[in-house]
Amino acid sequence: MTTKTDFAMKAENVSVWFGERKVLEDVNLTFPAKQVTALIGPSGCGKSTFLRTLNRMHELIPGAGLAGSIYLDGQDIYGEEVDAVSVRIKVGMVFQKPNPFPTMSIQENVLSGLKLSGRKIENAAEIVETSLRRASMWNEVKDRLNDQATSLSGGQQQRLCIARSLAMNPEVLLMDEPCSALDPGSTRRIEETISELRDSMSIVIVTHNMQQAQRVSDLTAFFLADDNTPGGVVEFGETQQVFHGPIDSRTNDYVNGHFG
Amino acid sequence: MTNDLNIQPWRRTSLFRKLQVLLAIVVPLPLVMLIALLAGLDLTMSFITIFVPVQLLAAGAVGYFSYGRRGVGDAALIVITTFLSMFVLILLFSVLWSVVSEGFKALSPQFIYQNNKYVEPTTSLEYGGVGHAILGTLLLVLLTTIVAVPLGFAMAIYLTQSQSKARNMVRTFTQAISGLPSVVSGLFILAIIEATGIGRSGITGAMALFPLMLPTVARVAEESLKLVPVDLRYAALALGSPNYRAFFRVILPAAKTGLLTAVLLGLARIVGETAPLILTLNPNSSTNLNPFDGGLMALPTYVYNYLASYYDTSQARAWGASLVLLVLVAILFGSARIIGRQKSSKSKGKK
Repeated sequence: MTTKTDFAMKAENVSVWFGERKVLEDVNLTFPAKQVTALIGPSGCGKSTFLRTLNRMHELIPGAGLAGSIYLDGQDIYGEEVDAVSVRIKVGMVFQKPNPFPTMSIQENVLSGLKLSGRKIENAAEIVETSLRRASMWNEVKDRLNDQATSLSGGQQQRLCIARSLAMNPEVLLMDEPCSALDPGSTRRIEETISELRDSMSIVIVTHNMQQAQRVSDLTAFFLADDNTPGGVVEFGETQQVFHGPIDSRTNDYVNGHFG
Repeated sequence: MTNDLNIQPWRRTSLFRKLQVLLAIVVPLPLVMLIALLAGLDLTMSFITIFVPVQLLAAGAVGYFSYGRRGVGDAALIVITTFLSMFVLILLFSVLWSVVSEGFKALSPQFIYQNNKYVEPTTSLEYGGVGHAILGTLLLVLLTTIVAVPLGFAMAIYLTQSQSKARNMVRTFTQAISGLPSVVSGLFILAIIEATGIGRSGITGAMALFPLMLPTVARVAEESLKLVPVDLRYAALALGSPNYRAFFRVILPAAKTGLLTAVLLGLARIVGETAPLILTLNPNSSTNLNPFDGGLMALPTYVYNYLASYYDTSQARAWGASLVLLVLVAILFGSARIIGRQKSSKSKGKK
């Protein structure tokens, strides 16, 4: 059903509205397979909004509008025949604030995606262990898998949310400022997790942290919105190039901390 | 850090200050009583008119000595809140006490399980009881609940989970019904009874209670569903969950305690209702478990019927029935709480 492509996802001429207000205009980005792409830019430039269009979470907001095409495995995920649920199974998401399910145990949280998407779980114990290992928290929680998820620390909760997404074996993992609510130690562990995961999936991460973008990403897209105009991509390229030899002067100003 | 074992936690208040506070609490009362005795005032009146200001002054003075001007406001606030809460507590307990003390006179095992079939107004309290009224109340509450709770929950789910434009209309409508006086609800059913010629029965009583329970359940359930963070719903949807599964597996379990409260408040709303039942029930003194036919007695209507009587024994029966009603409500609430707790601890301890 899929045509093999060298990119995991591709956005073509994507524009986004909230009601009457256009917040993104004509975004064209290609996310190569098994690479980490960072989306940077000042607050309110639309990068989180763009991220949410990649797994069709954007349309859950009342009044949300979208134009353009986003391809996953060569198929337009906004195509008429495509079900949003099937997209979200392939494109996982980690939110800014850790949001494990409070009524479930750690183990149930890891398996929640499979249950919620209606799949059969055959080797539960194995899935739980692999997913928690990949999120590098197996050793911390292996003795208390039946504890409530809310008993974990903030950093652990966020890694549990990553494990929950990994249990689904997504092709693409979207991360919306996953470390903004965490301490440096937890941040470092999540960054390590990201670099381990890049062999098996494509990752798109929104971050406000310039150092983090440089540490974890292969490619970087810089978003910017001028006053009262829709946001858009100013520059997109290899992370090294965007940070050390940007073409656009606005990118240069931003990555060097002159504004934003 | 020292490892001196003799180190004690800080005492935040010195003994001297504690003494001051104690004086401010203890001194005003005898002082006021003394003044009242010397001036020959009525004790209750002087308590209300003099004691509060004296206590305020005393507390204010201590507050001033301890913390300066800031302390005066604090002290005044403490005194006022204490008095107001005591006022409410005294009211509450005096009501409770009068029911318990009066009701206890009529109470006996046979009073709980017997009905009033052969009881005349003058029959002594050793015969007859409220058994039929307890069963009647339970039957009415059950009938109303099995219709009102699913519908109320359905309304709450509609109001919180859908994006429909009709939501505001439904919400306004629910609020309007919740303001409906219970007697009007009874009158409405009475009009139906008169118009259609169906006889009064348990069903007509439950119909009159239904509009009272529904908005309470719907509104409280709506509030408790609203309290579930939208993040959780997004998290479930982002994992590829269809809407209905996100609701049943994630949102509903998170709102469970609130939903239980909704049912309890709904029960509380109807269990003591009298006016609509007077209009729609055929009072009966024998046991009847058929909701479709025949007379039915509920505890509130029992109280109403017997309290109006001239005879002492009848009045004692009314008090007894009030006590039984109070206990019944307590049992209903307590068991619901316990069931709710067991379910949540079961999911916690599923090892």
